[in-house]
Amino acid sequence: MSHNTIVENLKREIENFKAQIKIEKAGNVIEVFDGIARVSGLSDLRSSEMVLFPGGEVGVALNLEEDTAGVIILGDFSKIKEGDEVKATGKILEMPVSDGVIGRVVNAIGEPIDGKGAIAGGKSIKHYPIEKVAPGVITRESVTEPVATGIKVIDAIIPVGRGQRELIIGDRQTGKTAIAIDAILNQKGQNMICVYVSIGQKDSKLRKLHVRLEEGGAMDYTVVVSAGASESAALSYVAPYAGVSIAEYFMDKGKDVLIIYDDLSKHAVAYREISLLLRRPPGREAFPGDVFYLHSRLLERACRRNQKYGGGSITALPIIETQAGDISAYIPTNVISITDGQIFLETDLFYKGIRPAVNVGSSVSRVGSAAQIKAMKKVAGTLKLDLAQYRELEAFSQFGSDLDEATKRTLERGKRAVEVLKQPQYSPEKTEHQVVSLYALSKGFMDDVPVNKIKEFERGLIDHAERHAKAFFKDIAETKMWSEKGEIELKKVIEDFKKGFSNT
Amino acid sequence: MAILSDNNIAHAIYLSLKDKSLDEAHQTHKNILAFLARKHLLGRAAAILLHLKKIINLEKGIVSATVSSVHRLHEKEEKELVHFLKKRYSAKEITLTKILDQNLLGGFRVEANDEVIDLTIKNKIMQLQKYLTRSAV
Repeated sequence: MSHNTIVENLKREIENFKAQIKIEKAGNVIEVFDGIARVSGLSDLRSSEMVLFPGGEVGVALNLEEDTAGVIILGDFSKIKEGDEVKATGKILEMPVSDGVIGRVVNAIGEPIDGKGAIAGGKSIKHYPIEKVAPGVITRESVTEPVATGIKVIDAIIPVGRGQRELIIGDRQTGKTAIAIDAILNQKGQNMICVYVSIGQKDSKLRKLHVRLEEGGAMDYTVVVSAGASESAALSYVAPYAGVSIAEYFMDKGKDVLIIYDDLSKHAVAYREISLLLRRPPGREAFPGDVFYLHSRLLERACRRNQKYGGGSITALPIIETQAGDISAYIPTNVISITDGQIFLETDLFYKGIRPAVNVGSSVSRVGSAAQIKAMKKVAGTLKLDLAQYRELEAFSQFGSDLDEATKRTLERGKRAVEVLKQPQYSPEKTEHQVVSLYALSKGFMDDVPVNKIKEFERGLIDHAERHAKAFFKDIAETKMWSEKGEIELKKVIEDFKKGFSNT
Repeated sequence: MAILSDNNIAHAIYLSLKDKSLDEAHQTHKNILAFLARKHLLGRAAAILLHLKKIINLEKGIVSATVSSVHRLHEKEEKELVHFLKKRYSAKEITLTKILDQNLLGGFRVEANDEVIDLTIKNKIMQLQKYLTRSAV
């Protein structure tokens, strides 16, 4: 571009520019500390209203007092100083949303942070309020459609439906994020938009995760919202609401959305920090009194909307990190009571090599069974009971060796069930494949296979079935139903495979 | 127990002094001071006075405004400004504080009742900067 062109362009731009004259509401910063500013003036300020600081930083009014307002600063607060002018915007904090946000990594106020430039969308970019009242009773519908997570133990025993809120809870390093990421990876081709909200996580972890999602082709339908560990508590506080605003944008278009909050313990801690700095009275574990409402209003926004109101759904998978397996702490009990079930991960199981380390006894899905496909329901019906009996007998069997035949059978079946439910990370399985493995297990086809060969058997069986039971797979994929004809075909295929497997 | 705010106290002082003769007001002043001393509120006297001033201004329809400019405003301009402010805030009287500020480059800026009307060249240049550096979409 020549100098003349630049000058001409600049001239044209300046000619087009019209200075705006408007009356603005303004106040002053009285004090600023730890991401909080106390401002005077701004007499008509509303709760959650956005305010602007001189450097362009955005703040949100949280505490409205008689003479001053407590404002959380969403951004770099080091440049803000006492006496600075603060302008009210008259707008409640909002999130820019458009289709262009898919595949991007954005921060808690919707700015892209992945170095790929501005979010595409231009004039189609809409602004969704970050705080919104959850959809009412009339607009909702019960959960009937499944979310296939691709994780056998979840899809079979703790099924999750579209519009459900299923908590993933466990100690550090038990594979909570892994479950969430596997669930996202498995949504390829499932007509689902995914939103991953990272709250107070290390940037290195997020980077790794982003690369993994890109490699798995999941960024084609995923948005990552990040409020990193190095950012202020205010951004961590806002991030999940920003994420759910993006989810609501897609739900309003009639789409199904899966949103993951990783994790809400850090969110509660960020809110505690803000509340204490704003001098709100502390309660149990120093959390403020409204910490329940903090999460309940967020998770209530997950729903399945009926067709009359546009359809679409938001399925939420909040994550909570417990300390030394204590699920009776304040935040875990709160979130357990809000959600429609929990997937409980245990350190002991993890180190025993049972991964995903799901404790089947403590995990539950309160609404998911209605969403489970018939075929899966048929094959997984007794699995939970089998496993529970196994766990109980396992403890007894350690005391003596003289066991009756029935007990031995239950123990052997249990060992094989545990083996079948093991699954490596980043390898979600198709529902049809899960059905085949679980059918073979529940009908006793695996009872005479040595435990250490179960995985090999399972892999071989699925390979064999892919080749010889095409009609069965097609039937399951299309109708999701279980037919007697299909069962006969599958039974024959398994028997055929077993003959070959025994011979090798 | 509810905490008495500076504004509450100022309001109470205003009501106790309202419509009182000079002698009565003198005695009331003494009582107020005694009350503030007894309740250990003298440290907040400056803030209370500020609120009292606001309350009196509100009652009397006085609006204080600050006008900042590079050069001193002409008498005619000042009159027009006062007229405009009176109309805007339905005020009976405007107390104008004038500030000279070379940084504004030109034009003037009025601050009154938490509102700012910025007609300075500096503001226009800032707006132009924002316009020219806006991200391309």
